[in-house]
Amino acid sequence: MSTTKYANAVAAIKAMENFLLTRNDLEQLISASTAEEMESLISARRGSGSEELTLEGVWEMIRGYAPDSDELKVLLYKNDFHNLKAVLKSMLSGRELLASCIRPTNLDLDELAKALSTKEFELLPDYIGPVAEQAYELITRTLDGQLADSLIDCACMKAMLRSAEESGSEFMIRYAKLITQCADIKTAYRCGAMQKQRSFLETAVCGSPELDRESLIRAALGGPESVLAYLETTSYSDAGKLLGESAAAFEKWCDDQVIELAESARFQAFGAEPLAAYYLAAEAELKNLRIIRVCRGSGADRETITERMRRLYV
Amino acid sequence: MSNMGIVLAILGAALAALLAGIGSAKGVGLVGEAAAGVVSVDPSKFSKVLILQLLPGTQGLYGLLTAILMLSRIGVIGGTAADLTTAQGWQFFIAALPIAIVGLISAIFQGRTAAAGVGITAKKPEHNGKGIIMAAMVETYAILALLVSILLIYNIEV
Repeated sequence: MSTTKYANAVAAIKAMENFLLTRNDLEQLISASTAEEMESLISARRGSGSEELTLEGVWEMIRGYAPDSDELKVLLYKNDFHNLKAVLKSMLSGRELLASCIRPTNLDLDELAKALSTKEFELLPDYIGPVAEQAYELITRTLDGQLADSLIDCACMKAMLRSAEESGSEFMIRYAKLITQCADIKTAYRCGAMQKQRSFLETAVCGSPELDRESLIRAALGGPESVLAYLETTSYSDAGKLLGESAAAFEKWCDDQVIELAESARFQAFGAEPLAAYYLAAEAELKNLRIIRVCRGSGADRETITERMRRLYV
Repeated sequence: MSNMGIVLAILGAALAALLAGIGSAKGVGLVGEAAAGVVSVDPSKFSKVLILQLLPGTQGLYGLLTAILMLSRIGVIGGTAADLTTAQGWQFFIAALPIAIVGLISAIFQGRTAAAGVGITAKKPEHNGKGIIMAAMVETYAILALLVSILLIYNIEV
């Protein structure tokens, strides 16, 4: 993907990186005495008259600059599959279909809702259509939302890996692997704690060369401690220690790994990677802002908020 | 075939202007794309990125200079064309090759370096000069090629 066709897009993105929050900005936000002060600090950083940073806005901007946004669609697979779960559950519980959907997505949400409500799964793209049908049948037959979720999550990981490999981008392959491995560790640990059966685990665990599927399933069957013991024998031993401490610490580790990966694209002058990195950076920034707002709302102290801050791109 | 000498010399002059010009057009175009990306976000950086965009344009000028010198030497500009032998024609043709080939390649690579330099200007405008220096390093080889072409042109006996 390191072609000069992205020269314009990468240069624009590099100029936009100047408006991302820095560590100093975050510290100021954490120290702000009121929510109003915090909001005014954010507006001052972004520049007067600028719009609020949203992932949808970032994605639209990237699509506007990128000569071929297909190379970046792997980034939105998580949202696409989340929306599939959301629409399925809304259908079964009789709620507004798109109420829990998130944006941006690769899919047209109205088309997704139409395809699911009319059971015309062939209207959906190949990477999601078959699993949508499978999940629909599973959830209507068993009414086991958790199992359907696991099926969809696992299909999401497989679709990400496949699409990343098709794109030929080393960055996207590493991203898809990282997301898959983090998800597999979380799933195995939770399933271990909930004493799930092998059949459930076989649906839920995706597997990868770094984390053998069968070993992970066997470890999960032995309980959470067994999962941690298995992780000790892999390159994820650090992650295992954090998971043993708390789920929040492990989540932070996963997010930080994504940003570490994004940083590897920061020095590239061409290619789609800096655009993907900017999207991931914006995602991390929005997550940090959300953590600060929620923590402040719940009266958490400064140290707790600082501890939870994700690694920054700039 | 008595005109072969002059044809080869003119072909050399044309190649010098053509290939170096193509390289410059590609280089300047690439930097222009990157520069437009920065200016679309921050128009105040226009003057800084413009300098970077100009850098790969010089090879085209070197090609033009070489072509004019050759055409002048063989008398096409300003009067009667010299009666060149085929061997002399080949000599002029070969004399044009350094700037034609090095001009083409160096302009494209200089364009890539300058486009990367636009990224420096976008993120750290105060370090703009470093981006210019890096791109200017590539220029060295175009200048050397120009020098060789000129030395050859002026040392061919007509």
